[in-house]
Amino acid sequence: QRIRSQNIVPCTVSQLLTAEQVDETFRIRDVEISQVTIMGIIRHAEKAPTNILYKVDDMTAAPMDVRQWVDTDEAGGENVVVPPGTYVKVAGHLRSFQNKKSLVAFKIMPLENMNEFTTHILEIVNAHMILRKNLMSASRVPQSFSSADVGGYGGGGSLPVNGLTAHQSQVLNLIKNCPVPEGMSLQELKVQLHNMSMSTIKQAVEFLSSEGHIYSTVDDDHYKSTDAE
Amino acid sequence: IHPTGKLFVLSDGEGKHTTVELSEPLGEEISGVLEVVGRVTNQATIMCTSYVQFREDKSPFDLQLYNEALKIIHEFPEYFPFG
Repeated sequence: QRIRSQNIVPCTVSQLLTAEQVDETFRIRDVEISQVTIMGIIRHAEKAPTNILYKVDDMTAAPMDVRQWVDTDEAGGENVVVPPGTYVKVAGHLRSFQNKKSLVAFKIMPLENMNEFTTHILEIVNAHMILRKNLMSASRVPQSFSSADVGGYGGGGSLPVNGLTAHQSQVLNLIKNCPVPEGMSLQELKVQLHNMSMSTIKQAVEFLSSEGHIYSTVDDDHYKSTDAE
Repeated sequence: IHPTGKLFVLSDGEGKHTTVELSEPLGEEISGVLEVVGRVTNQATIMCTSYVQFREDKSPFDLQLYNEALKIIHEFPEYFPFG
């Protein structure tokens, strides 16, 4: 089951470079993308009669080629070259030619407020996380999402699935699969889940414990699952 | 900024300081928020290859918020890959 993206998805250049192409469509970790936004600094600008070729650098990979077509009928105005050293937001379509990726931009805007950059990087994580979750849960029995969770990129953090967030599910699965009699320790969880901070792990453990999914064994640092596996 | 113009100290969104070294002395006055691209040396300074000053003419840049955002993106390398 595919989720066709009619959205415009914020991305890093590194994500665009690793996107896989199947026929006419691109996918980043199974999420289909077409229209994207990137934000970076212009490293180079080259003006040709019909287009302007920029190299935009967002520091996640080498600068990406961004082509903006010039309307040869219009006088000046629309197509002033943005100078190198300027931070811009680019909205455009991902293209691949001879295995080289580039963007065809329909909008290039210099950033006036650098706080937009902070928002953009957070939106990237949020958007890709939500799109991927929607993709995963679309192939399962429908969950009961509250209406505030569905649609748009609103809200922070993870979407609940099965009533548990991604973090809680990961912690629970590790505890369930632990063969040791005294259960899984918090230290061991931290080693396995190196992306998660200790406080996030502890919060997940507290929640799971209060919901009855796990119980503490020899001390408050060791937990076993209540589902006998 | 050091008198020779080859060294300056930056403080980040958490108030921590770091020293940035340049191969050539600064050719201009700089102030405010800078983004420095460079390599970390074994003296824990940064050898600067390029820098850009963030524009703050319309709105000030919230460095603390940016710092928090950085921590988040590092927690999710699967959604924000580097290189």
